[in-house]
Amino acid sequence: MTGTGGLRNGRECGEDAAAYVLGALEPGEAEAFRRHLADCAACQKDVAELEQVTGSLADATPRYAVPRELRGRVLREVRATPKAQASRPTRSWSPRIAWGGAVAVAAVVVIAVVLVVALSGGGSSTRTIQASTGSAELQIADGRADLIVHRLPTLPAGRIYEMWVQRGSATPTPTGTLFAVTSSGTAAVGVPGGVSGVSAVMVTQEPTGGTPAPTTAPVIVARTT
Amino acid sequence: MLGSRSRSRPADLRALADEELMGLVHDGEVRAFEIVFDRHATAAFSLAYRMCGRRAVAEDIVQEAFLSLWRSSRAYDPARGSVRSWVLSVVHNRAIDALRRQGSRDSRDVPDDGITERLPAPDRTDAEAERRDEAHQVRTALDELPPDQRRVIELAYFGGFTHSQIAEMLDLPPGTVKGRMRLGLTKMRNVLGEVTV
Repeated sequence: MTGTGGLRNGRECGEDAAAYVLGALEPGEAEAFRRHLADCAACQKDVAELEQVTGSLADATPRYAVPRELRGRVLREVRATPKAQASRPTRSWSPRIAWGGAVAVAAVVVIAVVLVVALSGGGSSTRTIQASTGSAELQIADGRADLIVHRLPTLPAGRIYEMWVQRGSATPTPTGTLFAVTSSGTAAVGVPGGVSGVSAVMVTQEPTGGTPAPTTAPVIVARTT
Repeated sequence: MLGSRSRSRPADLRALADEELMGLVHDGEVRAFEIVFDRHATAAFSLAYRMCGRRAVAEDIVQEAFLSLWRSSRAYDPARGSVRSWVLSVVHNRAIDALRRQGSRDSRDVPDDGITERLPAPDRTDAEAERRDEAHQVRTALDELPPDQRRVIELAYFGGFTHSQIAEMLDLPPGTVKGRMRLGLTKMRNVLGEVTV
């Protein structure tokens, strides 16, 4: 099972699979292993098998009672956080979309973005950027915004796409939206809170569960101004 | 993924499987979310508390994990695993982040405050009884590993330490730590292989 992978940096790549599923690689090593994983069938198999064990470890801990107030707090927060499809105030857009420099630098995935904007008055405008790998649409209607992506790569186990918003030139902040894509590379996700005041919607590849700050350069940068 | 908004609401949500409930959660159905929370919050809190040993930190982690599930229900893909494994994976990642942010590493092993109530294993449903049996098998498989392999797995998975930190702690070459992790997990996988964990 393990140790059947090829060579990575001159050594058996299978050595890292166990440390990876335990979350025990250093951040740089983990990122390098994830890149390797995308092309190594032996390591993909190792990771899939070993993740069954770590998944069972998670569910085998001694049981502790959930504090009563925690349930109430979570439900209050949920009720105060409407889903993305809740209606929001209407506004119109004159959009422009551009690639962030970080995308070119990162070269993780080169994605061309097709921005479709449905105006509240019923009209629409479409701006198309030269297509390469994958595409995305940012649909805005009645203040609600949905990002629809096509032909994005499916991510290996333990990785997920995370959405960020940028206001002006401030540091991007997490939206809390995490998503996977279907086998055909498609997903549709709401932008929580819409795009009022937002200068760019970005997507990065992150560990499952998301991160409070991006650990990779964005694969999508959709500028709205 | 956008086409499921007009689902009708079943009379008894508790009869639904997690995957069906997630469809309703995606539609903004708070009651469906409540049921998902009630099914998995104990496992989530237990894992977070086992890892962090701090009730307040564990509560924050569980709250964030479930809010993430609410906000990002579209991210859930049944083909990639169960709702429970998704929640526990989120909790584990966030607990590691919390542990690594924490300067002091003194109190990782033992829950600290004595306030949190240890639960007897609940057997209200067949699924719970089955989970209890599986958990017993997993603990046995872990306990039966050679101590040096068990130690590195526990330090990594529940302690959130990297292999380099473990190597330094145990005065071992990093390659030895990785090798013990691999041997230990492989043995557990072989032992549990017939149990469908």
